[in-house]
Amino acid sequence: MSGLTFKLRDASAGRLDLSALVPHKLAGLDMRDIAQIVVGKTRDQVRVGDVFDISGTSGDTLTFVGTTAACDGLGSELESGTVIVEGDAGAYAGRTMKSGRLDIRGSVGDFLAAGLKGGLVTVKGAAGNFVGAVLTGEKNGMAGGTVIVDGDIGERAGDRMRRGTIITRGKTGASAGSRMLGGTILAEGGLGATPGPLLRRGTLIAPSVARMTDTFGDCGRHELGILVIMSKHFSTTLGTLAPRPLPKIVHRFAGDLATSGKGEILLTG
Amino acid sequence: MSTASSTKTAATVNGIAIDDTFAEAFGMSGTGIIITADTAKWAAICATVLTGFGTSVIGCGAECGIDCELSPSETPDGRPGVRVLMFGFSPDSLGPQLKNRVGQCVLTSPGSACFNGLDSPKKLALSSGPRFFGDGWQTAKKLGKKRYWRVPVMDGEFIIEDKAGLTTDAVGGGNLLICGRDRAGLLETTEAAVAAIAKVPDVITPFPGGIVRSGSKVGSKYKGAMASTNGAFCPVLRGAVQSELGPEVIAVLEIVIDGLTSDAVKQSMRVGLKAVIDVGAAKGVTRVSAGNYGGKLGAHHYHLKDLLP
Repeated sequence: MSGLTFKLRDASAGRLDLSALVPHKLAGLDMRDIAQIVVGKTRDQVRVGDVFDISGTSGDTLTFVGTTAACDGLGSELESGTVIVEGDAGAYAGRTMKSGRLDIRGSVGDFLAAGLKGGLVTVKGAAGNFVGAVLTGEKNGMAGGTVIVDGDIGERAGDRMRRGTIITRGKTGASAGSRMLGGTILAEGGLGATPGPLLRRGTLIAPSVARMTDTFGDCGRHELGILVIMSKHFSTTLGTLAPRPLPKIVHRFAGDLATSGKGEILLTG
Repeated sequence: MSTASSTKTAATVNGIAIDDTFAEAFGMSGTGIIITADTAKWAAICATVLTGFGTSVIGCGAECGIDCELSPSETPDGRPGVRVLMFGFSPDSLGPQLKNRVGQCVLTSPGSACFNGLDSPKKLALSSGPRFFGDGWQTAKKLGKKRYWRVPVMDGEFIIEDKAGLTTDAVGGGNLLICGRDRAGLLETTEAAVAAIAKVPDVITPFPGGIVRSGSKVGSKYKGAMASTNGAFCPVLRGAVQSELGPEVIAVLEIVIDGLTSDAVKQSMRVGLKAVIDVGAAKGVTRVSAGNYGGKLGAHHYHLKDLLP
């Protein structure tokens, strides 16, 4: 595994936009070129070399050390390779990422994996609001790929999400799956209040829900073979990162009946 | 007018004459699907109905059969299953057969689910008909590169994968013609050969029990009939036509083999021939031949002498 390491030297530089620091955008650049990339969000024009110590050689892996919640856009638009974040991350981490892997060892801010198209995003800590959600001006949210958050995630995860999987070992905040068009959100710690507002299609799975949305219909307990297929898929593709196998029998709620009602909340508890 | 067989003998093994001839087979399109159910019994029932009336493309639209049973660990949904193979002249003719058979025979079967059973870059629509039974309540779940449809039905959900693999390199019409002087013994021997062939992956023997008693020739004296009885191999016509049968033969049975690859068909003929040679003589089998059209119609030729054990 060859690659560059960016160690944050100056955490007082304000918010940083690190979306340019992904392997395919750095390919062909030497250290001097990389050091000149502007990452500051203010008129001060802060550059990579002003705030990071860079070491290593160009490759398919980038490692960020000592990052804070002010470091936005980590792994953004990633097309291949791996980005490892040894610290916290700010907003828009993994935004519209297409492939590859983003590992965040700390916690992450809002809009994690917003508009994700493919690849794998893992977070050791917690994630903010709008995980896998639609970005302003875009039509749909996450369209593929997998997000795994070990901690809790914030409100409205999967807003206008179309495809892919969001897994949290913790809980979701309120209104997970809002306006969702497809895909799966699996919250092993439970769903926050009023999940799935205006959910059109897609599946929310959890052992419990803080407060069920009024516009979901109780379909009763059912044995759903698709859950076995999903568990097998997770096990095959995620290995040790896979969630616990899902039970075959779940309590199904159909909704949001305020819209087409073809989505569902499956309670495993 | 009676004549002896015009075909030379390539070898005589265990007292059974092996003709110096070849089976002539044709290129076909093939697909594989996996049927699962709550029990192996219901997976088998479903697969049996699905493959029914699937002996010959000439009259059935597709040639269908059960390739093998699958354990729960081998199926996508962890239930007992059966792998079914279907063959047709072309993808265009195979597609409607797949759609209609799955729609009428799998969707309807208690507890069933239907998945792709052939890894191939070429695909055939599998869910295109059955999923619309959901009347708008069908939903899809895409996992990796596979899309599964969930169709609400009276006993739960019918799950069907969106696409099935397709090969245009399949082969149809591998065959063995087994001749004997005792009808019961001939049937037992042919059954043993079919059982041996069933162990070869990627092949089916689409006729009843894997055996054909009505070997055919191309054409007929009657307008509109594409095929008619192969008089040269009908013992009761031995004295009336140019017969291929000697006086000792009172019955002939044929095994027709379709496979996803030419190698699979060849291997099937090899194990089938071995089974006949191993047990046939004691049961009155006298000769093994193969059907061809002079080598001008089919691209695949399997010479019996090359398949001897």
